[in-house]
Amino acid sequence: MQKVLNREIKELITAYPEVGRVLEEYGIGCAPCSVGSCLLKDVVGIHNLDPQKEATLMYRIEKAIYPDRKISEPVVDMTRKSEPKKITYSPPVKKLVDEHVLIKRLLALIPSIVEFTESSLKVDKNLILGCVDFIRTYADKYHHMKEEDILFKYIDEKAEIIQVMYKDHDIGRGYVRQAVEGAEKNNKTQVNDLLTQHIKKEDEILYPWIDRQLSTTQVGEMFRKCSEADASVGDELPKKYEKFIVELEEKFLQEVTK
Amino acid sequence: MSGCPGSKTIDFSEKTNQEGSETGKRPSQLRQWPIQLHLVSPMAPYFQGKDILLAADCTAFAFGEFHKDYLKGKSIAIACPKLDSDQEVYVEKIKSLIDDAKINTLSVMIMQVPCCFGLAQLAKDGAEKASRKIPVKQIVVGLEGNILSEEWI
Repeated sequence: MQKVLNREIKELITAYPEVGRVLEEYGIGCAPCSVGSCLLKDVVGIHNLDPQKEATLMYRIEKAIYPDRKISEPVVDMTRKSEPKKITYSPPVKKLVDEHVLIKRLLALIPSIVEFTESSLKVDKNLILGCVDFIRTYADKYHHMKEEDILFKYIDEKAEIIQVMYKDHDIGRGYVRQAVEGAEKNNKTQVNDLLTQHIKKEDEILYPWIDRQLSTTQVGEMFRKCSEADASVGDELPKKYEKFIVELEEKFLQEVTK
Repeated sequence: MSGCPGSKTIDFSEKTNQEGSETGKRPSQLRQWPIQLHLVSPMAPYFQGKDILLAADCTAFAFGEFHKDYLKGKSIAIACPKLDSDQEVYVEKIKSLIDDAKINTLSVMIMQVPCCFGLAQLAKDGAEKASRKIPVKQIVVGLEGNILSEEWI
């Protein structure tokens, strides 16, 4: 089983589709992941399941891979901490989660924007470029840079989960480039899918996992570094993009109620 | 039994010392003097840029691993929100710790009894008055010495 724990999850799910189904049952959505290079041991560890759940999950994975093998009943390590009832974040990480909320508000509008653009005789260039500017400046520069330059520095950047996040950021940047160049007609929905899944992974899995590893001192340091990063761009930048989203919401609410 | 939970008589002597190891020496993690919030100065060198533990008086007696798990690596101030007088001074000192001593974080450790939450409130008031912002954590210790909750507030 030790060998299995060190195998990449995508490779395991391809060879044993039942493993993907078992993980899904435990709320671990690796099957649709575009990268899948995380090791099984990291995938299980990062989700912070309670000892009973983790032991049962490992038992079922082993059974899925070796159906004929005699496998002993799960041994439960009750000394490990139980799964927290609700996700709580340290203040600097909470700030990053709050920034996701504004990004998600744009994502929620993308289907309406796509529909509006497709049904319009003339392309509203300012609308498209405004959305691209939001993703490029607010999501990528203001938000992702704090993740990449500050948050990720507190953990092993070589960890597969971090590599997956970097890859998501790069793919997102590629989509935005294509949107600006007008090379890809469908990329608005691709950006939507990518960022929605990316934010969910960060809010529910990555951020709590990083938070669990941070010492009190590191939380304080990270808070200070994030505050300095925010101060370097000024208060106006987040306010400008919040105003952009509010106006966009009002515009599309009017379109829907027309 | 009714009355104030903070001073209600409870005997759990039969439950104590059921688990844990007593082998080995446990060095003190205290690295400063004084510690009482009225006596300390926010300008003291041991506060500058440090992580601070603001502990209710009873917590160190209730929680067995106080030194190892919470005091280690931190500077400390202690207070009792029920019995101490002139608590407006406490708010100003907390503000000064944040603004002048530029402390890194503030962890407030209190007992689960309702009156002890007054210390967390004092910390919040001081943090709100300060112009700098820092992470503030609240740790609640149960009467029998267990950690009931630990969260950033």
